[in-house]
Amino acid sequence: MFGLSTYTYDDEGFRTCNTTGLTIHKSAEDMVKLFGVTGIVALLVGGIFALFVALTRWEIVGLLGAADYYRYLTIHAWYLLIFWMVFMEIAILYVGGNFVLGRRLPLQSLAKAGYALMVGGALLITWGTWTQSVPDQAPLLTSYAPLPSPTEFYLGVDLFLLGALVAALPFLATIWREKREHPNRTLPLITFGAFCTSIVAAEAIVGGLITYVPTLAWRLGYLAHIDPAWYRQMYWIIGHGSQQINLLAMITIWYFMTHVIGGAVVASEKVSRFAFVLYLFFINMGAAHHLMSDPAVGLGWRLWNTSYAAYGAVIASMIHAFAIPAGLEAGRRRKNKGGGLFGWLWSAPWRDPGFSATILSIILFGFLGGITGVMMGQMQLNMTWHNTLAVPGHFHGTVATGTTLAFMGLGYYVVRLVFGREWIGDILATVQPYLYGAAMGVVALMMMYLGVLFGVPRRHPSVMDIPGTAFSFEAATPFFAVFGIFAVLAIIGGGLFLAIAVGSLLFGDPFDGDPRITALRTAAADGGEAPAAPHHQEMRGTFVFVLVFFVTFVVLWALNWVLLAQLWQIGP
Amino acid sequence: MDDHSPLESPEGNWWNRSVNRRETMWLGISGAWALTLFGWMLGWTQVGDQNQIGPTYELSPDAYREKVQAYKQDSGVVTIDGEQLSVPPGTDVYIGALQWAWDGLPVALRPGTEYTFHIGAYDVQHGFSVRHADNLSQQMSLQVLPGYEWVLDMTFDDPGTYHVVCNEFCGTGHRSMHGAFTVADYDDADVTAPDDGGQAAYGGWFTSGARGGTTQNFTGAVDRTGTDATTVTVGAQGNGGPYAFAPAAIQVDPGTTVTFEWVSDTHNLLVDHQPDAGDWGGHTSIENTGFSTEATFETPGVYAYYCDPHVPLGMKGVVEVV
Repeated sequence: MFGLSTYTYDDEGFRTCNTTGLTIHKSAEDMVKLFGVTGIVALLVGGIFALFVALTRWEIVGLLGAADYYRYLTIHAWYLLIFWMVFMEIAILYVGGNFVLGRRLPLQSLAKAGYALMVGGALLITWGTWTQSVPDQAPLLTSYAPLPSPTEFYLGVDLFLLGALVAALPFLATIWREKREHPNRTLPLITFGAFCTSIVAAEAIVGGLITYVPTLAWRLGYLAHIDPAWYRQMYWIIGHGSQQINLLAMITIWYFMTHVIGGAVVASEKVSRFAFVLYLFFINMGAAHHLMSDPAVGLGWRLWNTSYAAYGAVIASMIHAFAIPAGLEAGRRRKNKGGGLFGWLWSAPWRDPGFSATILSIILFGFLGGITGVMMGQMQLNMTWHNTLAVPGHFHGTVATGTTLAFMGLGYYVVRLVFGREWIGDILATVQPYLYGAAMGVVALMMMYLGVLFGVPRRHPSVMDIPGTAFSFEAATPFFAVFGIFAVLAIIGGGLFLAIAVGSLLFGDPFDGDPRITALRTAAADGGEAPAAPHHQEMRGTFVFVLVFFVTFVVLWALNWVLLAQLWQIGP
Repeated sequence: MDDHSPLESPEGNWWNRSVNRRETMWLGISGAWALTLFGWMLGWTQVGDQNQIGPTYELSPDAYREKVQAYKQDSGVVTIDGEQLSVPPGTDVYIGALQWAWDGLPVALRPGTEYTFHIGAYDVQHGFSVRHADNLSQQMSLQVLPGYEWVLDMTFDDPGTYHVVCNEFCGTGHRSMHGAFTVADYDDADVTAPDDGGQAAYGGWFTSGARGGTTQNFTGAVDRTGTDATTVTVGAQGNGGPYAFAPAAIQVDPGTTVTFEWVSDTHNLLVDHQPDAGDWGGHTSIENTGFSTEATFETPGVYAYYCDPHVPLGMKGVVEVV
């Protein structure tokens, strides 16, 4: 595929990876390249539109007028929140399933058909949004009925979702065949994570089709009425569910990357797998937190879904927050890569963009995305967050720093391990994850301040000049200035990734193994006496980290309640 | 090969392998924290003052609009700091969201009194986002859905102006959707009954008995006879925002050319009724600040017109050729 790879396969179509030791079949690798490169193209398009969106909200620049802004925002949202993510995730399923298990990709024609449907759907969504005219409005991400969106948009969403479902089938068939052949063999943790991802994805996608097929019928006039409350509840199965696919895929990638580059081991198979199973049961119900400040849903329904259900998923995330650094700590201690409290971290390969992107993703996701998600998921706190700029702040914490950084880290290793190309750019490749992560982290923070402290609404092209009133959000101007500057820096950081990735594919030297990673693997093999099992290793450093995280969590949570208590009395 | 790798099938009875002591402690902390979060939220519904809890009624957007109109007819008027505000007849406050205005606002509320807010939409989804003018962090948002009326109690202790913006995307005019209410002590003696006497002119066109809401800025026709060209402002302040034709009614001679000038965004001119021989088409497309159009009125009689987006707020006008 693409003819850019430097690797050759044996007569059966297999090759052995020089870094991970995995046995990889051409059929799976071709599809990983196809979906992965398409994801990168989506990142490029979404990133270009990010520039227009950021420079409009930074009102000193004020690039776009209202009508244009909503169209550009729609493209930005769909390309980054949906297309970049889902194309990468299909590739991750094939890596986590077929690469790790060493199996060829069955039902390859379905993978291609799914790909064609996804690309067709994505183009229809783009076309519908771009040519939108009254009475239709720009769909944004949510296309809340009864505000009509273009017919092509609804049709495109249906096709895209169907395509993603079809493209997941070869992965599920792989798992099926593996279990038929080896009924008593436990799936490797990465494969298990990918499998849980696929189930959460299927739930989300089926929910999405239940939402968007009737909505298409309504737009075409076959249905007279769409209940807005029904639409909201059903929509968020896919609206938030799609982001939960990102979460599970990202966590799977965290386990994968910390192991391959950092030498991490599994701290506890039981605990990590238990956490994945918790997601299966709870995380989709957690999507109910979008309806915390809605009429039409009762108190019991809201409390059940945000507490019982959401906290099942929160505990799972907190488990991974310990298990992944602990796996790294235990793995590196076993390989004598660090003493003391943090020696295992000081000795880590911080110049390797695959490693730094992964670690930054873990930290930024937890502190910026995770904590804020729990806070706005509390029913009463939700009133102060709902529909403010803090909400995009939260999901730039999860998706733009967390998942995007993790996928960038993976992208660096797709260039090396799938295309067989060494990175170009040298120091630029080292700097890129730090530049992008730090800048995007500041952007997310500023959006949260603007939303919670100033009540600045999301989805507005301007808040300094509201037609027909002297009232404005002028007090927030300094925060918008910081937001604007760092948004531009973050986009430059993202562009740098694209330049390095594409440049390496075209001009990179052949990659024939990283001596540092090879040394790490031989250290494991030649350890002489087998080192103690991971659960007997010290996990002191990790424990200090999670305690810092926990204290931050509690303090921010308490501050939010203090702020809420300043509000006038609402409710009984 | 590396054992304990996430890329390998774990060997032996991995389920019974012991868990590191610190990982076990973290599991305990996580579980206890989840229970705390849950307990706090539940407890706040009992002892906290901020709970977005209240009954929801399902009713058609038209039925809700009629409720708001009936409420507005019963409301009084009070002037605070030079601004005319409506005074709710009891402690119920009705607010209707529409593209792109807040029907029922501005309203005067007393500090410390518990009001029952009724919130609903006439067309699409909106966001009821409220903040104190002097303290932007004192803010909250509620979703507003067409087809549902949400009833919530609210008590305001801090006097001042509270600004309402829409924070759910509701179409291209979304950002212009602004309203306000004032929390202040006022004297009952200053409250005047809604003056419907004047509005009864022109067959009640300016009352809520005709299309849309009451035209509060109508205080009798303005005489513009004796000239062959005059101007009416579209989107002037009135009816709770930039939702007025100014003057609301003019009297002109036959053959007068009237220029309509837009001074705020998203308005149009639709003709409700005119003399049989009249051929005025209004201006159906929605226009923004800076736009103007003119028409020459020849046939004597009453030309009643309105702005389609804002007629629920009372944005209605008359050209009377005498």
